[in-house]
Formats: sequence, C-alpha cells, structure tokens
Amino acid sequence: MNLEELAFLALAVVAVVTGVASLLVRELVHTILWVSVFFVDLSAIYFLVAASFLGVLQLGVYAGAVTILLLFGIMVTRKRIFSRDAATGIGPIPLALAAVTFIFLVAALGEFPQNAVAVTAYDPAALSAGLFGTYGPWLLLLGVIMLSGVSGAIYLVREGRE
Amino acid sequence: MTSLPESWFLVLSGALLAIGVFGLLTRRNFILILIAVEIAMNATILNFVYFAAFSTGGAGLSGQAIAVILVGFAATEVAVGLAIVLALNRIKGTINVAQATELRE
Repeated sequence: MNLEELAFLALAVVAVVTGVASLLVRELVHTILWVSVFFVDLSAIYFLVAASFLGVLQLGVYAGAVTILLLFGIMVTRKRIFSRDAATGIGPIPLALAAVTFIFLVAALGEFPQNAVAVTAYDPAALSAGLFGTYGPWLLLLGVIMLSGVSGAIYLVREGRE
Repeated sequence: MTSLPESWFLVLSGALLAIGVFGLLTRRNFILILIAVEIAMNATILNFVYFAAFSTGGAGLSGQAIAVILVGFAATEVAVGLAIVLALNRIKGTINVAQATELRE
C-alpha cells in the first residue's frame, strides 16, 4: 500500500466519522464544528485527486461560506446557542433504508476495476476556459438560478410579512 | 503520479449518500436536515470529481465543470433553506419541522 492510498483511507475514515458525528451530536454548535471538518476533509480528497480548483472552491464555498451561514442560522433562531436539542429517536426504518442505499451502491462495485488507476490532473486554466466556453450557458443558468434563489430568500425573510 | 483504486471512491460516496439519507429521515431540526442534504450533495460532487480524475481529455474536464456548477447550486440551496428557517422561526417560534403543519391541515 503506497502513501496515496494510506492518505485516502485516512481521509475517507475522517469523512465518514465526521459526517455521522455531525448528525448525531446533541448540540447544534458542535454539529457545525463537525461539518466544517467534514468539508475541509473533502477538499483534501479533491487535492489528492489533483482537482486543485475544486479543492479551493470547496474550502471557500463550503468550509467558509456555508459553515458561517449555518452558524448564523443557529445564532438567530435560538436564545442560547449552546442549548441542546430534544432527543429524536433513531428508528429501525431510517437505519435500514440508509443501509439498503449503501449496499445498493456498493453492489455496483463489480463493474469497476479494483486495481489502482492513474489520476489525471487538469490545468485550472483549461477548466476556466471550458467554463466560459463550452459550459458558458450552464454557468449563465447557474447565475440566473442563484439570482432568483437569493431574491426569493430576501422575499421570504423581509419584514412585515406573515 | 498519483494512482488510486477507483472502487474506493465509490464506497466513500455511497457511504456519504447513505449518511445523508439517514440524517434526512431521522432529524427533525431544519438546520440538521439542511446539513444532511449538504452531505448527500457532497457525495454527488465527489462522484463527478473522481470520475473526472479517472478519465482523460474532454470527458474529465466536463466532470469538473459540472462539479463547479453543482457547488454553486448547493450554495444557493443553503441560502434559500436558511431563509425558510428564519421564516419558520418567526411564524412558529421553532425550527422543528414536525410542528410546521400549515399545509397539512
């Protein structure tokens, strides 16, 4: 087992543990801490597969903006931000459905090569040229959806509306 | 040159999607539901990134471009979700989705 495989295994274990921990801890602020580690860990995986542009984007958008937005959401909706959430039971049906999802996806593994495959690195310049060239309409669509989404968000939270 | 088994990534993203589904079904707090959706969304983006890394030429580049656009969609989704959280908190005084029953009645 080479160094990259060890690094991937360590990052994968951290991703799964922090993902589960973020949904199971009782205090919402601790959830944000766990989920921020999860986002940073995923960006490390992106750097490992030589997708440096996506790694930086993951750090900026997820570990930065989304984490702060979620923390802000907690701060404005609770009187004491460290107050605990009421315990919600973990029934057998959600666990079974999650297990079935996992098994179904892993069952597809037979279709894929089990030996190591070389990772292709892409130049960020080529990616940005593609984003503003071939995928320009999609980027424009993203901008339109973001604009309408944020306008809708402002409409939802504006004062004097019941 | 980095080389990794492709199947490991599939197991990881399958596990992350399962965690997201589990959180979506069991949590009652709106912010935790948003986080569960984000975890599932990250599993999808991870899929695009590693299939891009393991293919060559234009196909790989398109995978990364789609991943970039998906990150933007996910950020918009969080903004709209938090607006709903704030509106729900103002109307009901709680962000427990079990108590948001207006459309049911």
